[in-house]
Amino acid sequence: MKEDFQSVPAVGEDDLALVTRVLAGDRGAFESLVRRHERRVFRVTMAVAGNREDAEEATQDAFIKVFRHLDQFRKESRFTTWLTSIAVNEALQVRRKRKDSVSFNETRGLDEQIVPHRFEPWREDPEKLFGKQEVRRLVESAIQALPPIYRETFVLRDVEEMSAEEAAEVLGIGVPALKSRLLRARLMLRESLAASFQQPPTLKTRIAHAATDMGTAVAMRLMRAVGK
Amino acid sequence: MATMDCKSVLENLSCYIDGDGSAELRKALEEHIARCRRCRVVFDTTGKALKIVLDVEPFEVPLSVSARLYTRLQEVLAGG
Repeated sequence: MKEDFQSVPAVGEDDLALVTRVLAGDRGAFESLVRRHERRVFRVTMAVAGNREDAEEATQDAFIKVFRHLDQFRKESRFTTWLTSIAVNEALQVRRKRKDSVSFNETRGLDEQIVPHRFEPWREDPEKLFGKQEVRRLVESAIQALPPIYRETFVLRDVEEMSAEEAAEVLGIGVPALKSRLLRARLMLRESLAASFQQPPTLKTRIAHAATDMGTAVAMRLMRAVGK
Repeated sequence: MATMDCKSVLENLSCYIDGDGSAELRKALEEHIARCRRCRVVFDTTGKALKIVLDVEPFEVPLSVSARLYTRLQEVLAGG
């Protein structure tokens, strides 16, 4: 069976054509849809549920729901938007179930004012310096460390590259709320990655930066003194 | 547009990154970051962070998770 799964050709066929085939009784076409979208569904459920175990459960539930309710898919909307909505909802259900036993505050960080603290430029090519695996690990833990409402917004917009309107629709919030969460998510993620990727400041650059930041004659004199 | 302070510039970071907002706003942002080192670093490194996130393609489906998904779906599909 697994071999059948791997061999279903779907390249070049769009989602809508595959959906039509599934509705006509072609189960191989459903397998193609799963293969094409499992990564997106897993990422989205990871973002919402926050851990691998719950994401796995939600991913399975989401695809089962998609299969059983495919006839309810309205073809004027994008298949990925519909699928992502289902994935988000399944992951939310798992998250709520988990909340009964593990307490965590969903609104943590909501009113937080995000003020950047790290102002050093970043190294030119972190992937070359750290290796792609390590950079991926750093990125994943930075995303996982975001409070849930920022994490899900960030993943839909900046990983899955949905439009602000689509992401807002999927999360059931307004576009202004989505944009405000996204800004905070981006700033928090930047701050967290900066810890690894920023250039270590030398004394000379620190003083130079202090001079330009403050623009004071004292700092300018300091910088000249160091330059000598 | 009047000269923007760092706080309002930061609030419009997404407009700059996503390329929306009016031409006037973008011009005001660009003028600010041209002369404000801190905002310039924040804008530049946020853009870099987003590029890195896309480059590394985070959260691959682990093979075991994928295998269990296929198995479960096959059971469901077989049962109708």
